[in-house]
Amino acid sequence: MEIDKPISKPSGAEPSRLDAGGEEGSPAVAGSAIEFRLDPSSGMPTYLQLVQQVEHALRLGYLKPGDQLPKVRDAVASLVINPNTVLKAYRNLEAKGLAAGRPGQGTFITATLSQAGLPELTGLRRALSGWVVSADAAGLDDSAIVALFTSVLRDFRERHDSSAGRPDTADGGEAERVA
Amino acid sequence: MNVIEASGLGKRYGGTWALRECSLTIPAGHVAALVGPNGAGKTTLLNLAVGLMAPSAGSVTVLGGLPAGSLAALDGIAFVAQDTPLYKNLSVADMLHLTRNLNRRFDDRYVKGRLDDLGIPLPRKAARLSGGQQAQLALSLALARRPRLLVLDEPVAMLDPIARHDFMATVLTAAADDGVSVLLSSHVLAELERVADYLVLLSHGRVQVAGDVDDLLACHRVVTGPTAQADRYSEGLNVVHARRGEAQVHFLVRTNGSADPVPQGWEAHPVGLEELALAYLREPGAAALPGPARGDDAQLSAAMR
Amino acid sequence: MSALAMPARPEQNASVRPLPWRRMIWVTWRQHRFPLTGVAVLLGGLAVYVWLVGRQLHHAYALASACHPAGSPVCSVLASSFQSMDVQLSNGFVWQPLPALIGAFIGAPLLARELETGTFRYAWTQGFGRRRWTLAKLVLLATTVTAAAAAFSVLLSWYYQPYFTAGNQGRFLTALSPLASGLFDLRGVVFAAWTLAAFAIGALAGVLIRRVVPAIVATLVAYAGLALAAATFLRQHYLTALITKNVDVPGTALVLSQWWTKGSQFAFGRAPITLLQRICPPPPPKAGPGNFSKSDFVGQCLSRHGYTQLTSYQPASRFWSFQLIEGSWLLALSLLLIGVTIWLVHRRTA
Repeated sequence: MEIDKPISKPSGAEPSRLDAGGEEGSPAVAGSAIEFRLDPSSGMPTYLQLVQQVEHALRLGYLKPGDQLPKVRDAVASLVINPNTVLKAYRNLEAKGLAAGRPGQGTFITATLSQAGLPELTGLRRALSGWVVSADAAGLDDSAIVALFTSVLRDFRERHDSSAGRPDTADGGEAERVA
Repeated sequence: MNVIEASGLGKRYGGTWALRECSLTIPAGHVAALVGPNGAGKTTLLNLAVGLMAPSAGSVTVLGGLPAGSLAALDGIAFVAQDTPLYKNLSVADMLHLTRNLNRRFDDRYVKGRLDDLGIPLPRKAARLSGGQQAQLALSLALARRPRLLVLDEPVAMLDPIARHDFMATVLTAAADDGVSVLLSSHVLAELERVADYLVLLSHGRVQVAGDVDDLLACHRVVTGPTAQADRYSEGLNVVHARRGEAQVHFLVRTNGSADPVPQGWEAHPVGLEELALAYLREPGAAALPGPARGDDAQLSAAMR
Repeated sequence: MSALAMPARPEQNASVRPLPWRRMIWVTWRQHRFPLTGVAVLLGGLAVYVWLVGRQLHHAYALASACHPAGSPVCSVLASSFQSMDVQLSNGFVWQPLPALIGAFIGAPLLARELETGTFRYAWTQGFGRRRWTLAKLVLLATTVTAAAAAFSVLLSWYYQPYFTAGNQGRFLTALSPLASGLFDLRGVVFAAWTLAAFAIGALAGVLIRRVVPAIVATLVAYAGLALAAATFLRQHYLTALITKNVDVPGTALVLSQWWTKGSQFAFGRAPITLLQRICPPPPPKAGPGNFSKSDFVGQCLSRHGYTQLTSYQPASRFWSFQLIEGSWLLALSLLLIGVTIWLVHRRTA
């Protein structure tokens, strides 16, 4: 997944944070700090891809609280996806408390993601490296390692989320129907 | 409001029924895809909905109960037929003027802006535009009428990938900006998953699947497991389509939406729209229509536990 | 059902007033520019031609009719030069195809082209409505072609007027019946009525056949059949024919048939050769005064034997009655065909 850096767009009022310090006198740019991109080969539902891209951007610092997410019509026009998909992704972010919609203006980031602290990350990284070494020694190649990891992760999620009550599963079964 | 409501709709040509017992309710505010193989009855259904044909059986109403083909219905529905018919010897400006004269609402500024963005010059004759430009012109004229429902019959079948991308971007932007409901037919499934949020699957003149895409995907999954246990496991399931190998079998099953755990040795996967549609198309007797089936599923899953 | 449906456009009034008819004027003109212009150019060119030759004709007629005394060699020369002018136009047949062509090339493509090219899928899904669209186009085009034909017909009537001025028959013109086919069609209201009928036939053929060229052909064929039926049969019987024993039926009358009776019973149409040989042997070759023709001799001989010749005919005075009768049934037919066309458009499916 990539996050594209913003290119100046003719619409919108807020200067992008990453363009601060650009040329003097350049007009106010960019409606949104990020552009979405779809990965058609990933098995993940589109709206989840959008949610993940926003979360990834938050983690990497491309998005900070107060930044505006792409307008629905802009995302629709560039990705050629159903508007409801974008709306669903934004509702998902709202439900997670990461974003909020302002009527007539758009959707804006309201919080950051809590991160694991740096020492935890280092420890996790070391444990994972050890596991990869064992897997490699057992004769698994790269795609076998990834398949095994993905399968375990999915099982974990299913068990974890079904017991937590409100599924936010990777298979996209967000239960918003009226039964 | 339902943009299309069909009840027992049927159309017969001579002795053959092109469409039979078609009952649908397509809600407003969606991009609905009408999918099926060639000859399934998609064009017939669309023609009935826009009033180009009269039904042989049943009825169809549009835009919340208006008779299809009535003046009020014509006012609110814009149709772009297959091969985007335009008057070939008229210029683009003439087509604009024509459409303006024949309709109640016409957003001149919008359409001229669109054509400008697309680089379509007004004085050029429609016959001298490329296929993609003709399609965009027809679409722009349709959207300039500010319809409540946009109906497209295989709109991108003859377009190259770039033209296809631009065309669908226009359609979806209109849906996002103005809340236009869209009903489009296609026999190409692959691109629909991103675009459509309501699916109607037609096969041999009958509706096989109709429903919101999210609901359909939530109600179906593929369970994979050893062939030896296949028959025993599948008894309690609503299997739509099975693919059996020597050792491994895939069942595409219809659930009632809850993520029931699978037995040891079996795996459950989510299913994509294309896979779902293909499975139903291969099983003419199967159907997923909104309504009674859910109750049966609940009983079956309860019995299975 | 997803709860995230996009905000749909707010409801609009379910009952809509139809759009004004005048919008179809530009639509009809723009879509039928070429055939209309073609017909205008054709009629315009022909009109100029008719006017030019007509002026010459009228001039020659004025000279010939003002000449005194009537039988003198000078006047005879003027008379024969008048009679020999524009002989190709004199029986009027050259104008006969005009209504058919106008009707076929404007009426037939009207609906046939839409159906053939598929543009009806655009036209009949616009807000104007397919029946009103069809009605507007039919009425506008029918009115236009009928008016153009009527104007041209006035010009033709002017052209042929010297042939029909009362009193020139017998002076220097062979008698000409205004009811005769070829000329009857060009004058009065009938020319315009035939054009309207051709247009109506064309429109109906277009919606039935759905392809332009076959529809044009079918229109011409149907028109030819109808015109032939009218000329050879219908026109002779609009009113009951008059029957007279008078041998001198005026030359302006349209003679239908002649036959002989004896004692109020039908004898024969033409005298059989055997009878003539028996009772009316041919006279010696050089007997009798100059103008004595064979048929006069036979006529006198037969009447001496008690046979009476009867002639049924339609007098020239019935010209306007016949014009109105023919114009009326053509108008009724046209309205019927147009009505059927609109009904078929309403019922026809994609």
